[in-house]
Amino acid sequence: MHVPIEYFLVLSAFMFITGVAGVLTRRNAIVIFMSVELMLNSANLTLVTFSSYIGNPVGQLFVFFVMTVAAAEAAVGLAIIIALFRNKQTMNVDEINILKW
Amino acid sequence: MIEQYIPVFLVIAFAIVFAVLVVFSSKLLGPQRPTPEKLSTYESGMKPVGSTHERVSVKYYLVAMLFIIFDLEVIFVYPWAVKFRILYNEIGTSVFVSMLIFLIVLELGYLYVYKKGGFKWE
Amino acid sequence: MSLELFLFLVFAAVAAVSGILMITRSEVVMAALFLILNLASLAGLYLLLNAQFIAVVQVIVYAGAIMVLFLFVIMLLRPEHEKIVTKISGIRTFAFIIAALVFVQLAYVILKSHPGSALNSDVTASVNAGTVESIGTELYTNYILPFEAAGFLLLAATIGAVVLAKRKFE
Repeated sequence: MHVPIEYFLVLSAFMFITGVAGVLTRRNAIVIFMSVELMLNSANLTLVTFSSYIGNPVGQLFVFFVMTVAAAEAAVGLAIIIALFRNKQTMNVDEINILKW
Repeated sequence: MIEQYIPVFLVIAFAIVFAVLVVFSSKLLGPQRPTPEKLSTYESGMKPVGSTHERVSVKYYLVAMLFIIFDLEVIFVYPWAVKFRILYNEIGTSVFVSMLIFLIVLELGYLYVYKKGGFKWE
Repeated sequence: MSLELFLFLVFAAVAAVSGILMITRSEVVMAALFLILNLASLAGLYLLLNAQFIAVVQVIVYAGAIMVLFLFVIMLLRPEHEKIVTKISGIRTFAFIIAALVFVQLAYVILKSHPGSALNSDVTASVNAGTVESIGTELYTNYILPFEAAGFLLLAATIGAVVLAKRKFE
């Protein structure tokens, strides 16, 4: 292991923060969704890093399950975005406010 | 360990260099005399109608979604197939039954889509 | 500089830069393509971490399948470029300040706690952990219930997506 574990963790933190900034600044529902995927992937990187440095496959198994959940989430979430677009003709989340009181 | 992957990284690097070279060498070497007619979209000599970002049908979404689900199913079967003989000798038929339950559960979704007519193109 | 460190720096730079480009592009298609680049460089990082199987799954499932679904939906909805970022003014600086603050905190905690000293990282154990065999053994002996639950989750996702997107067919 020639690369210190801290490098991987700092990269993972950076990617997570990038995803957070994307969710906060962008108003397109699909781009927000992609930023959430970025955050999921940074968590995956942390799991694989610790799994590899400790030498235990369970962390990688969890990454496997995270990928399954991400796929299911993408299928349903994008279907919701399609249904929203059909009703409102927009993907700007500021204009999608039918549940706002 | 990582030394074993050097050929893979070399192939990736070669692919990137080749793709960039092919795309940009024609820009660099060939003559550039653009006119509005040359830059417009080619539409069999007709005047182009509308934008190129044409909307595609929802049918494609359903196909892509089913592709993801069955892609994941195959990914789950793969480590099972690799370890099947060893696990079967260790813990018996339960390893077979567990995968059978998983596949049956997924085929239920397949049947549902079939009944709903998701595979009909028109 | 060792080969590992060099490859790590290359992949990490690609991942970080493509992540930033993803959240700043105004065309959604460009953002999706930069996310694909980010996911592919993550697969390279997984290879550096000796997680061969996860690297392949990352390319097949994430960069291959999930992003294809995203691109299909983008083509389906043909989103116009975002003209206004948001109605709330100053959210950009606010988001940047929050992100920078949290990142400095996280980096401080990571570098201060120095987790590398507590680990006696063993290369052979790490290589063995990343193979298909070890993941398969773990998955089909100790984690059989989450595995079946994943099957039900995929079933729910199939039905939910069909119910939500199907209405147009009629």
